[in-house]
Amino acid sequence: MTTLTVNGFTWLVTGVGFGMVIVLLIVLIFILMGLGAIVSRISAPKAPKAAAKAAPAVQASAASAQGKESDEMPVAAIAMALHLYFNGVHDEEPTQITIKNVERSYSPWNSKLYGMNNLHR
Amino acid sequence: MEDIIRFFGSMGFMNMTWQQGLMIVLSFFLLYLAIKKQYEPLLLLPIAFGMLLTNLPQAGMFHNDLWVAFLDANSPAYHSYGTIMKEGGLLDILYIGVKAGIYPCLIFMGVGAMTDFGPLIANPKSLLLGAAAQLGIFITFLCANAMGFTPAEAGSIGIIGGADGPTSIFLTSKLAPHLLGPIAIAAYSYMALVPVIQPPIMKALTTKKERAIKMSQLRPVSKTEKIIFPIAITAIVSLILPDAAPLIGCLMLGNLAKECGVVDRLSKTMQNELMNIVVIFLGLTVGATATADTFLNWSTLKILAMGIVAFSLGTAGGVLLAKLMNVFSKEKINPLIGSAGVSAVPMAARVSQQVGQEENPSNFLLMHAMGPNVAGVIGSAVAAGILLTMLG
Repeated sequence: MTTLTVNGFTWLVTGVGFGMVIVLLIVLIFILMGLGAIVSRISAPKAPKAAAKAAPAVQASAASAQGKESDEMPVAAIAMALHLYFNGVHDEEPTQITIKNVERSYSPWNSKLYGMNNLHR
Repeated sequence: MEDIIRFFGSMGFMNMTWQQGLMIVLSFFLLYLAIKKQYEPLLLLPIAFGMLLTNLPQAGMFHNDLWVAFLDANSPAYHSYGTIMKEGGLLDILYIGVKAGIYPCLIFMGVGAMTDFGPLIANPKSLLLGAAAQLGIFITFLCANAMGFTPAEAGSIGIIGGADGPTSIFLTSKLAPHLLGPIAIAAYSYMALVPVIQPPIMKALTTKKERAIKMSQLRPVSKTEKIIFPIAITAIVSLILPDAAPLIGCLMLGNLAKECGVVDRLSKTMQNELMNIVVIFLGLTVGATATADTFLNWSTLKILAMGIVAFSLGTAGGVLLAKLMNVFSKEKINPLIGSAGVSAVPMAARVSQQVGQEENPSNFLLMHAMGPNVAGVIGSAVAAGILLTMLG
């Protein structure tokens, strides 16, 4: 029977390697959180000015609400599309093709025209 | 008469060994999987065809022996690019791109140009799930070493658990190029089998109640954040881990081109023409390394077995960490999104969505799962950089 042996170096690589992946990605988490906070602070409307001018502030909040709504629209559309896809929900079509028969009385003067340009009247 | 005999003697049929015949049959099987079953056809088809070409007797399209002493300063048979250009076949010349680590990086550029990191920026904790899913890489590294592979070979086998084809090829071409064929085939085959491999593990590790957890809507991410993200990640990761710079740098360059909105032509080229051309070259040449003498041995079977272990452990790692996070955090997360931490973008995220909807049809996990999914791409590139630094 063969014995499976692992030397110290392999244990070291496993421990240090996996530890480094975790630590590095935790560092990135803090950086991303910091980035989010900084960007939202920079892009947020300045409060004192907004308070001074009440009407523009209302407009700004309405605009931001509208913006938020427009951001959520694609997500809602994707969610709905997935729901319809996975549940097999779709419009039921009758799959019947109906041809409306257009009847016109024969006339030797216009029969050729009817054949070439069969328009509804 | 002599000419006729020489002609017949030069035919492939007359010179074929049973091993080459078996490899050709295997390439037919892979072609069947790619075309009929559509298992990762974009890569499996050129890989299978490369395998067919390289095993054709007398065709001389690829020479494994040419690469043994290539740029090896310690070998008495040291040679460089000139010898390859002079004596190599078509596939030898194309293989330079793999050997120099060019193709995987260019593919990463295209992947970056097609990836939206928004869900990850909106929920940075996803990175933890992407990190946990790399558990498979390191446990498999340990197991492969215990089974007799050298540390460099074991690292290349372990990276299959990252479920990231270009990263696997990049690392293997640096650490264990003689295993490139089996590792690439294992990586892409298992990536295609993600919808089969992952769900039983996800269900076994979670309760019905956990699978039905609904997550709150992600916050919208501004364009400024999306532009700063690739620049910041490249700088930070490359400064900490220089060996990961080629992969992370190319991934983030592609993403920056997409997000900045001023180089649409470049972004479209990265996503389409460049990516497609490189996929053809990469697939063909990686398939070409699967010659009978390097592929038909016990190592290949061991690699295939270890590959599935790596995938399963990666999936389990992500799910278990998500469960652990639920213990400590107020806002519950659905543990199913943890399995998407193995890269396999976007298939792993789709699997989370499907398994979640089986429990609760009104639950939409796709966007939440995309966070760990793209975090997995970064995580596996980081893991590859670490293994390259420590074992290279």
